[in-house]
Amino acid sequence: MTVILRTVARVVVPLGFVVSFAFFLQGHNLPGGGFIAGVLAASAMALAYLAYGLDGVEDDVLGREVETAVEHVQHGIVRDYQSLYAAGLGIAVTGGLASIAYGYLTGTTIPYMTQTFRHATVPLFGDIELASALVFDLGVYAVVVGALLTIISVVGAE
Amino acid sequence: MQPTPDLWVLVALVGLPFAAAAATPAVARQLGNRTAYYAAAVAAVCLALVASLAGTHGGASVTWVGPLSVTFGFYVDGLATFVGALASGVGVLVFVYSAGYMREEPGQTKYYATMLAFMGSMLGVVYAGDLVVLFCFWELTSVASFLLVGHYSEERESRYSARKAMLLTVGGGLFMLVGFVLLASATGTYSLAAMLADPAATRAAVEQAGLLFPIVSLVGVGAAAKSAQFPLHVWLPNAMAAPTPVSAFLHSATMVKAGVFLLGRMRPILVGDDWTHIFVTLGLVTMLIAAILAVCATELKELLAYSTVSHLGLIVAGFGFSTAVGAETGVFHILNHAAFKAALFLVAGIVAHEAGTRKFSELGGLWRDLPVVAGVTAVAALGMGGVPPFNGFYSKELLFEAAYHLAAHDGGLTWAYPVIAVVGSVFTLVYSLRFLAVFFGEKPEALGHVHRAPWSMNGPPLLLAGFAGVVGLGGVTAALGFPLAPVESFVGHVAASTLPPGADHLSFHYYLPTYVSPAVVMSALALGGGALTYLVWERVQAAVTGALDAVPPLGADWWYDTLVFGANRASTATHRTLWTDRLRTYATWTFAGAVGLGGLGYLATSVGVPLATPTLGIPLTVILAVAALAALAAIRAPSHVAGVLALSVVGFGVTVFFVLASAPDVALTQVVVETVTFVVFLVILDKLPSYYGRIQRSRAARDAVLSVLVGGFVTVTTLVATGATPDSIASYFVENSVPEAGGHNLVNVILVDFRGIDTMGEISVIAMAAVAVLTLIVMRERGETP
Repeated sequence: MTVILRTVARVVVPLGFVVSFAFFLQGHNLPGGGFIAGVLAASAMALAYLAYGLDGVEDDVLGREVETAVEHVQHGIVRDYQSLYAAGLGIAVTGGLASIAYGYLTGTTIPYMTQTFRHATVPLFGDIELASALVFDLGVYAVVVGALLTIISVVGAE
Repeated sequence: MQPTPDLWVLVALVGLPFAAAAATPAVARQLGNRTAYYAAAVAAVCLALVASLAGTHGGASVTWVGPLSVTFGFYVDGLATFVGALASGVGVLVFVYSAGYMREEPGQTKYYATMLAFMGSMLGVVYAGDLVVLFCFWELTSVASFLLVGHYSEERESRYSARKAMLLTVGGGLFMLVGFVLLASATGTYSLAAMLADPAATRAAVEQAGLLFPIVSLVGVGAAAKSAQFPLHVWLPNAMAAPTPVSAFLHSATMVKAGVFLLGRMRPILVGDDWTHIFVTLGLVTMLIAAILAVCATELKELLAYSTVSHLGLIVAGFGFSTAVGAETGVFHILNHAAFKAALFLVAGIVAHEAGTRKFSELGGLWRDLPVVAGVTAVAALGMGGVPPFNGFYSKELLFEAAYHLAAHDGGLTWAYPVIAVVGSVFTLVYSLRFLAVFFGEKPEALGHVHRAPWSMNGPPLLLAGFAGVVGLGGVTAALGFPLAPVESFVGHVAASTLPPGADHLSFHYYLPTYVSPAVVMSALALGGGALTYLVWERVQAAVTGALDAVPPLGADWWYDTLVFGANRASTATHRTLWTDRLRTYATWTFAGAVGLGGLGYLATSVGVPLATPTLGIPLTVILAVAALAALAAIRAPSHVAGVLALSVVGFGVTVFFVLASAPDVALTQVVVETVTFVVFLVILDKLPSYYGRIQRSRAARDAVLSVLVGGFVTVTTLVATGATPDSIASYFVENSVPEAGGHNLVNVILVDFRGIDTMGEISVIAMAAVAVLTLIVMRERGETP
């Protein structure tokens, strides 16, 4: 790919990740959320792939050895993507159990995946809101990033 | 009033086998061949728990799905205790026996884990106090038996049998589920315990809803499939592909007993004229047909399998009679059948293990080598044949009595019932004698020396036959004035729990008859006829086999094979039409199908299309016009890149539309998704040919028609869907999102708070899509075709 694309990617990709993270954190109150943030992170990564190629990311950025095609699906960064969406599903599913456990400890019945929120004051940031739904959203984020990148990288490798 | 059971004991009882099954791999690594004793110990603990619940009565539950009034509930009564004791008690013996039978066999871990899960599922069925719980465990028994029947999974026959058992019993279970839903809709609760607490009120509610006959039939299909009633019996003879201990367990104490258990369970609520006609006819026809087929069997396990079908028919018929005698027939015969059938299966396993064959033509004179086994067989087989004073005789007498009374009372066609019962019993005696004959007569020369089985294998059948013998002797002593009180009171207690309210229930007695009654005459006819028929059984066998060969539809597998393989062929043909390896074909069929089905739905419900006057401002109109133009451009694009660019214009146009419609979050999503799509296209474009092929005119015309249809359909759907003005839902979310979830971003609050489980489903789909892509790619890399 062209030099222009590579130069742009060098700046835009990190920005993409930062914005994605911001979207994720503010998602409960402002536009954003796990899904959008995940797609944004995936597109940033995809841009890196466009600019540097799959092997470039694997080799130059992560300093890993490039594998052959079949191995590619089984090892390296694709493996990490797979663990990422698996972990995301795990977080989303088990996070919902917390409410049941909390209900059990306090002697009440709270259905699966009941969410709640608290306000807390943190120095520098002031009043922030802690929503238990953020855990679930983190699961969504991980699944979206992991699954999209798995697909993009294996289809791209083809 | 009896004490109510403790919920935790029930949870422990049902959960223990599953926990033990999960622990089996670790245990088996330590114990090796002695894993059987671990499993037997688990079964013994279960038996102890069953015994500890014996004195209690009633339900115990925790809320499960509150809004549907589904509870995770259990229910204990005499029937549950009885069948629970059967499952765990026979379980202990079968596990001990497995120690000898499965020694050095491969796949032991899988075997013991699945057997334990099988036992747990059965206990779950037995103690379920809620229809949904009952259904779940019911289908679990089918799944466990699928694994067990298909234990030798490399053999074609095993796989065929396992699939057959699964298809028929799971399919039957679905009928039962519909029956359960109807029952719940009539009574307003899924709680079986609540229904059984007041059967009369439940029945009145069902009758008032006009659902009695549908419910009886649907639940009946489930029970008939599970308990292998004609014509759904075809899976059971195949199930002998399983290792013999599995067959013994399956046929005597678990899966097939689930069907008759269900009848006993539902009997207090549903028994009536419909019930009697359906189940007595079904049971007796099954009993007769299966008994005839058993006479034609060429090997031990096949004979036993058909015999099980036949005896289950007897039990079903017994439960079919609305009288107390009917209930006693069912319950007492479950007990007797479990004892002699488990013993005989274990005997068949010993013979196969030690003699190396199960074929009648290769066996004979075994009593010299296996004297203990021969004794066991004599007691069990004569009980099976209904010969006095062995145990099967008494329950069959009860059947004759019930059938005769019904016929004498109703007259007319019902006289067929006692006649069929007697004829069925004739063949029952014939095949019982055939089984026994394996141990007598000349020993074939080809059969070398037969080793004695180890005591772990001899012991269990000996115990079972001993029990059967004691029950039989009880009848003799009762005739002399000393009844076997524990058995009598137990059977009477259990039978009472299957009786409808208000039935006059006398205490249960059985004894060797010392006077002439209709039932005694019928027994005499059956015994005499059986003895005579045995002398010419070869001719009977030849005649039946000839008829089966001449007319294939009479055979057991004919309709199953026709149906299943027919469905297979049909699906292959459909596949060939639809699966052309061209994206174009898939898209055509998918779109045409969606428009066709959806359009039919609109036509059928005659949906009116609300024609709203557009209230678009100038900016929106401009944006939408640009998007529409870009869509046209995408159609006419000369290259891939131009097409993709034009599509992106459509996408970003829609984004602006969202922004103008004050939906920033949706717009943001649209931007990001559009970007990813664009990037993915760029990645793929390299690999595609750079030009579009020439398209035939006719095909282009067809595609144009289809796309106009799809567009029109989507438009109509949008109008119909938004015509319902979702304002109330929207305002609900607007009002509640901050106080309930603390979020100002409605879209995100809906995604993660209000409809979190939907989102969970969606992310699972995303993950599945990734797995699917990975699988396809890996398969292609390895040179396999999907």
